[in-house]
Amino acid sequence: MEFSGADLIRAAALLGAGLAMGLGAIGPGVGEGYAAGKACEAIGRRPEEAGLLTRTMLVGQAVSESTGIYSLVVALLLMFVVQ
Amino acid sequence: MEELTKVWTWSLDVAGFHLVFNATTIVMTLTIMGLLIAFGWFATRQTGLVPNPFQVVAELFVETFWNLTKDALDEDMAKTYFPLICSLFMFLLLCNWIGIFPYMEEPTKDLNTTLGLGLMGFFIAHYAGIKTKGFAAYAKEYFQPVFFMMPLNVIGELAKVISISFRLYGNIMGGSIIILVVSHLVYGLLIPPFLYAFFGLFVGTVQAFVFTMLTLVYISVQVK
Repeated sequence: MEFSGADLIRAAALLGAGLAMGLGAIGPGVGEGYAAGKACEAIGRRPEEAGLLTRTMLVGQAVSESTGIYSLVVALLLMFVVQ
Repeated sequence: MEELTKVWTWSLDVAGFHLVFNATTIVMTLTIMGLLIAFGWFATRQTGLVPNPFQVVAELFVETFWNLTKDALDEDMAKTYFPLICSLFMFLLLCNWIGIFPYMEEPTKDLNTTLGLGLMGFFIAHYAGIKTKGFAAYAKEYFQPVFFMMPLNVIGELAKVISISFRLYGNIMGGSIIILVVSHLVYGLLIPPFLYAFFGLFVGTVQAFVFTMLTLVYISVQVK
């Protein structure tokens, strides 16, 4: 079975896409879970502020999600642009 | 799966340059602008103490974003920048939601749209900073806290554009790819409506709000 250079590049790109997405998802996962846990604690302490806390939590999570989104963009580039 | 890489384009050769226009993005953006103009017309046509349904929605948007803008900027400046913030949110919300209709595609799935909006927010924020503080005070901020931090500050400002536009693009694009892949896996049965509800409606709303809030925060950081 013969391997050409293009096959190797394609394989490396797909492997890199998987690694980028998998490793890049660790940080946002931990961070968003931490933010949600803190928001739960705060709601438990002051249930009447639940709406404001939920909104702030969602915005903060969406911002801290962005590093995961960058790895998603990198993975998409590796999959569909590197041929 | 060939829907993923298929892009409708118009090509044009002008004065030695090869220009490519993304037809889907342009048509969908114009559609959304038309829808927003129609919404504005219906909302302001017969205003009264007993409002019509469009007026109720418009008042909800205006009141919410007026309060948010007033909190971030002071009252005079909020009057200047409130129309931008409110219409940016309405535009992005409709952009992210229109993907749930068949044969419609989100314009925000294209990096050109989000990068354009991010650059718009960047230039408006810096224009506001120069206008309120004067150019000397504005330029002096780049040399804080010490002189040789200037390149880092410039890169930090430019990275804001990249981060805000890639966040919106990646969320919408990733959501639509997940919807496509999972729909193929389950042969389009049962699961896709919930995926559309989550990635189209929920994530779309949150990301439109985040983009708007970050643009507002960038403006308020510059004018302070």
